[in-house]
This record gives sequence, structure tokens and C-alpha cells, in this order.
Amino acid sequence: MLTFIIKRLAVAIPTLLILVIFSYLIMYAAPGGPFDSERQLPPQVMANLMAKYGLDQPLIVQIARYVWNVVVHFDFGPSFIYKDQTVNDIIRQGFPVTLTYGFWSFVVATSVGMSLGILAAIYHNSWLDYLAVGISVGAQVLPNFVMAPILVLTFTLWLGWLPGGGWQGGQWQYVIMPVIALSTSFMASISRLTRSSMLEVLNANYIRTARAKGLPMRRVIFRHALKPALLPVISYLGPAFVGMITGSVVIDIYFSTGGIGIFFVNSAINRDYSVIMGITILTGALTVLFNLVVDILYAWIDPKIRY
Amino acid sequence: MNMKAILKLSAVAAVIATAAPAAGTHPVTGEKLSDNQTFTYRQLDQFPTLDPQMNEETEGHHVIRDLFEGLLIQDADGNLIPGVATSYEASNENKTYTFHLRPEAKWSNGEPVTAADFVYGWQRAVDPANASPYAWYMEMASIVNASEIIAGEKPVEDLGVKAIDDHTLEVQLIKPLPYFPMMTTYSTMMPAPRATIEKYGAKWTDPENIVSNGAYTLTAMVMNEYQTREKNPMYWDADNVIIEKTTGMIINDVNQALTRYKAGEIDHLEPLPAGQYPALLKQMPDEAHSVPRLCSYYYAFNQRPDAIPELKDVRVRQALSYAVDRDVIVNQILKGGQWPSYDFTHIKTAGFEVPEIDYANWTQAERDAEAKKLMQEAGVKDLKLKLIYNTDENHKQIATIIAQMWKQKLGVETELQNFEWKTYLDVRRDGQFDVARVAWCADYNEASTFLNVLTTDNEQNDGKWSNAEFDRLMAASATAEDPEVMYTDAEKVLSDDMGILPIYHYANTFLLKSDIKGWPYNNAENNWYSKDLYRVAE
Repeated sequence: MLTFIIKRLAVAIPTLLILVIFSYLIMYAAPGGPFDSERQLPPQVMANLMAKYGLDQPLIVQIARYVWNVVVHFDFGPSFIYKDQTVNDIIRQGFPVTLTYGFWSFVVATSVGMSLGILAAIYHNSWLDYLAVGISVGAQVLPNFVMAPILVLTFTLWLGWLPGGGWQGGQWQYVIMPVIALSTSFMASISRLTRSSMLEVLNANYIRTARAKGLPMRRVIFRHALKPALLPVISYLGPAFVGMITGSVVIDIYFSTGGIGIFFVNSAINRDYSVIMGITILTGALTVLFNLVVDILYAWIDPKIRY
Repeated sequence: MNMKAILKLSAVAAVIATAAPAAGTHPVTGEKLSDNQTFTYRQLDQFPTLDPQMNEETEGHHVIRDLFEGLLIQDADGNLIPGVATSYEASNENKTYTFHLRPEAKWSNGEPVTAADFVYGWQRAVDPANASPYAWYMEMASIVNASEIIAGEKPVEDLGVKAIDDHTLEVQLIKPLPYFPMMTTYSTMMPAPRATIEKYGAKWTDPENIVSNGAYTLTAMVMNEYQTREKNPMYWDADNVIIEKTTGMIINDVNQALTRYKAGEIDHLEPLPAGQYPALLKQMPDEAHSVPRLCSYYYAFNQRPDAIPELKDVRVRQALSYAVDRDVIVNQILKGGQWPSYDFTHIKTAGFEVPEIDYANWTQAERDAEAKKLMQEAGVKDLKLKLIYNTDENHKQIATIIAQMWKQKLGVETELQNFEWKTYLDVRRDGQFDVARVAWCADYNEASTFLNVLTTDNEQNDGKWSNAEFDRLMAASATAEDPEVMYTDAEKVLSDDMGILPIYHYANTFLLKSDIKGWPYNNAENNWYSKDLYRVAE
């Protein structure tokens, strides 16, 4: 197991390096640059800007210098657009926000989603099943950019219970609506996945055996059915967790939460090269990490899997 | 009572007197003031910087104007009034300006604001090492050696701005510039706190580090969420500042912002969701406003050597322009009080006199008939045009309807192409179009800020329309006694040659809570200062 983890981590390094190089090239190939605006800058002003940010260097030098700064100094450079901020500042500010609402969304999505799925499977074809399926289908078809305005209309304008946006360091009133908006579609997917895989397991022969020998239903489900039923769910949870904690631009746009998602999208629009790279690397590293976590969980749950 | 006690007492009295306005009545109008003197407004996006010399856009300028004060500032009508400078005079055939600074002006850390702070700030703006994207502003202001310093040919110390003494600033220009004093109100020309900048580097604008000389100081800033500025007790005119705290809330989505405005979370929302101004005006007649905004929306014709030959024919350009029913665009698409335009310079620009443009006074039927006739005369049939615009719902609607008008009236086939913003700029600068959407906003409230864009050598002239008479008029206007006549003549030349296709002049639509007073509705540049606002008791 330990060798497996070490091996996987060793593979992560070239993976990230390739990610950096490809992202840099794609970004470089995109038309326009960070300093283009309606007003075309005089050539000399543009030249000074390019020199300040090292964009006057050959591409290979730029990439090498970038990788060197990241690896040796853990310095992702200054933002090209936000003149008073470095990429480290931006990630330091935005990532904890995203991590907070992402984490709670994950907790809500998995706990509610799994409970709904399990209930639906156990009470297959009963009103409870239909209700659970109804809820998850409803949640699935209601995208968060529709949810968000409805939530604010309801809880801010009509009921006056919650502030319509902002973050304020993560006070609970500000966290509720982003979490609801972000978790619903994930919850729906988790619930449907859990339900179908649970149904499959419940129809398996060994469950029939367990029930035949007179084990109580609760024991059958929790001891025997749950673990194998969760395998497909877990493989979904890894990427879903990364998706939630690396930012949802929709949440940031609608709730002014100031998370990493809005920075990522704006950096692409503004051609803020260093910020694009910084957040790409962050997302890439987290994806690699949580894929590994999922693999480890797999081995723990399913004794057949050995690395 | 000894002297000390008397001093103490009078100090207490002074404090009471200065505290009085916030709790009582407005010192000038006598209106009863609310106990809540805060102002909260919506910002569309995170501004890039609070460093005055590095700033290049409006959203940041709104904040910087509160935090820093330049030599001159604007009143509610956009007129120049004393800021840090109490007076100035021009000499040496209007090529030297001498500003006299008020001795009581202080930075928020209590240090006096001196002429040297302006010299330092202005030098930062042109310093190649700083690479300010607004360095060109100093070139445009015609300050001696600005261009050479930006090009790295001279040291920053050679910039034509000198501190004669602590309270006298002398500026040398390479040529007389009638609007120079106006330019001193912009961020780029604000003073800079040298010691703070040298101590903290790029982080000097963080709330815990920043030192500023305006009516407010920055007290909190979270990117993409909000920032607050609070009354600066060191400001020389702090006694007359009523709003205690201003908060800018970044709300990207305009409909979300509207909901939060209705929920009372923000006092000011600008701009309004597209096309909703009439409905909101009906719902909230005291709160919905439309004021001029000095920007002009037009289509550029490609006039490059390799452009399609039909567009080189003035009759075709005229026909295309005449066939556009601007009233439809303004009244049915935009619906925010914009003006249909037949000239380039915004009609509300200070001092500008709109020339007599014949087709502006025709009916649309007359324009259409003339357009058809011109196309026939030019012998153009089956004209195919490529019209480009940047991705945006309004631009799309306007392009679609114009293409339809051209098709119906002139039989012109138009291919519409949209691009994401930065790609769009690339494509447009490359000249890969026949007709391109452009908007230009004034840098200062004077017609040359528009018209210079269309001179032959101007970098912004993406259509590459070129007219010797127009260039001559604009060159002459720079030193003319009465440039306004020349601006009007230049507009006439532009219109006769249909160098561009003017479409509309902008208006700013916004909602403002009715208890917020002091809003400068008549400031055509939409420059508002929190220090002029106040909230009345309801």
C-alpha cells in the first residue's frame, strides 16, 4: 500500500508539469493579452508592461522561469491585472472561502443524497421511493444559476431572513444559500447513484442468503449491503469533492462570495496569465490528490482490490 | 480658568461642533439628517487596483476619488473646484501652470500634503519600472519629457513638474493645453505617499498599510466581495463630510443586484438590467434615473487599403448610415434615455456645439429613400458585409436589427460575427472586418477626447478612416483660441464623409434610494464623491 502511495505521488509530479506546460501553451495561443483594452496602449507603454511581467522573454524562458519560481520559491508571481495582488494573495483569500462552502456542500450532498438513495432502494416502488426519486430529479433539473436567484428572492427579499450575498468571513447566515445552491445537483446525482447500486446489491444472492438465515433487515443493510453498494458512489465522490472545493463560478457570481471560482473565470477572460496558471495548478494538484484518496478508500472498502 | 483649560474646553466645543452635522441637520440645506450616515453601492466587478497611478478604469476611480484628492476636484455640475490646490495660474503662453497648495491639507497619518508628494506621484506614473498602463495619460497631458521618460530615454527626475516650495507646484507643458487643469482631477495625477510606498511596495494599498489624503480612508477590502472606506478625520474639510462610511459591494449579476437593492441591502445600483429602465421608473419614480454618460457607440467602416472597395465609396457609407433607424435602437432595444446620434462627440459634452447635420433632421422615410438612391448611384449591388461585435446581448440585438434594416432597405447581406472581448480586440485591430462595433468614452469633458480618436495616426482608429481636412482641424484646435468652432467643423467633415456610422450616445441608468441626497446628477462624467452625499431622515 505504501509503495503504491509513493508511486502515485511520484507520478503526480510529471503529471502536474505536463499540465503546467500545456496550460501555458494554450493560454499563450489564445488571442489577446492581459494588457489589451478598448484603448490600445502606445507601443512604449505596452513594452514597459511586457518587460515588467517578463512577457518580452522567449516562451521557453518564461515557462522555465515560472516553473522555477513555483517549485523553488512557491511563488506563483504577481497578478497581471490586480496590480496590488500576487497570485498567492488571491489563492490565500479565495481558496478558504471555496473550501468552506465546498466542504459543507459536500457534507450536505453526501448525507442527504445517500440517505435518500438508500431509503428509495429499501422501500423500492413505494411512495417513499417515488418521493426520493422525485426530489433528486427535481434537484437535478434545477441548475444552480436558477436556484441562486430563487433563493435570494425567497430568503432575502420576501422573508428577509438571510443576507442576499457576501461572505463576511464565513458567518453562517452567509454560508447557507451558497451551500444549498451548490449541493443540490450533486445531491441528486449521489442519491440516484446510491439508489441504483443499492438496488443491485439488494438483489444479489448473498443478500438473499443473509436474509434467508434470518438476519434483521438493519443488520443486512448496514453490515452487508452498504459497503459494496457505495463503491460506485465513492468513485463519483472524489471528482465531485474536487469540483466543489475548487470553486463554483456560479456561486461566486450570484452570492458575491469571493471564492476561487470567480477569480478563475475572470482570469481567463482578462488573460491574467499568472492567476490562470496558479488556479490551474491548484485544481490539478487537488484532483490528483483526491483521486489517490478515492483509490485508497476503494482498497479499504473492497478487500478484493489490492495495490 | 487657566489658559490650558480654556484650550481644552474650546477643543471639546470644536469636537461637538464638528460632530453636529451627522446627528442634526444639513449645514446648508437645513434638511434633517438620518442617524445612519452610510452609503452602500453596487460594483459590477473587482477593480484592478487602488494605486492611483496604476489605475486605468472607472470602478477603481470611484474609490480612489474618495481616498485621494488631486489638485482640483469637481462639483455637482462637473465644474472644477479647489482640491488640494486653492488656486492656480497659467503663464508662459499657457505652457506653465503654477498650483498653490493649501497648507492645511494632510495625509491620513497626519503628515502634511506637499508639492513633493505630487511630484513623486506624477513621476511614478511615467516611471518605466512601474509600467503604469495609464502612463500615456501624462503624455496626453503634454507634460515636458513624459514621452522620453516612458521610452526610457530620460530619468524620471526630468519630468516637467517641480516643487517650488512645499506648497507651490509648477508644471511645464510642451504645448498649451486648454483642458490641462481638468486633467488633474483624474487618479493618475493624484499625490502619492512616498514613505508608505517605499516601505510596503505593491502592498501599500492594503487597508492596514494605506495612507491617503482624501475625505476617506480604506478600512476593509476583500476582493470580489466588498470594500469599505470611512471618514478620514485628517481631511482638511472633514467638518463638512457627512457620510461616515461608504461600502462598495461587488455583485456581478445585475438581476441579483436588483433583488438586493429592493431588499434594502444597497442604496445605489448602476447600470440597470438592459431594457428595464422604463418599468423600474414606473415602479420607483423617485429612485430610477437616467443621466448622460460621455460615451459614444458607433460602427467603424474598414477603410484600410485592403478593405472591400465598395466601402471606400462615400455614397455607400452614407447609404448604410441613412438606412439605420436609430430611434428604433434607442427606444425599443436600449430604452434607457440614450440619444440617437448622427455625430461622434456626445451631445452633452461641455462646450460642444453639434453641427448642422442634414440627415439628422430628415424623417426616416426620407433617409431610406436617399439611401436607396445613393446605392443606385454608386452602382453597388449584392453587397456582402462582415459585421463584428464583442459577445453581449445588447450588441447582438443592435447588430441583428441593423443587418435587417440594411437587408430590407438596401439588399445588403450582412454576416454577423461575435467574439469574446480580448479576441474581439485582436480581430478588430487586425482589420478582419468590414464593419465593426466600437464605443469610445471620454477621458475628460471636452470634445477633443472623442474627435482625436479618428485622426489618421491615432492608435484607436481601427477603421483607419483618414481625412486630411479633419486632421488639420484637430491639429489646429490644440492651440486655437476657440477650439469649439473647430470641433464643430471637424464633426461636419466627419459627417459629410461618413467616416464612421454613429449610432447612439450613452446614458447612465441607475437606482438611488430617495433618502440619499447630494447626488451629482449633472456631472456629465458621472464623478461622484461620497463627501458630497448625505442621508436625510425619513
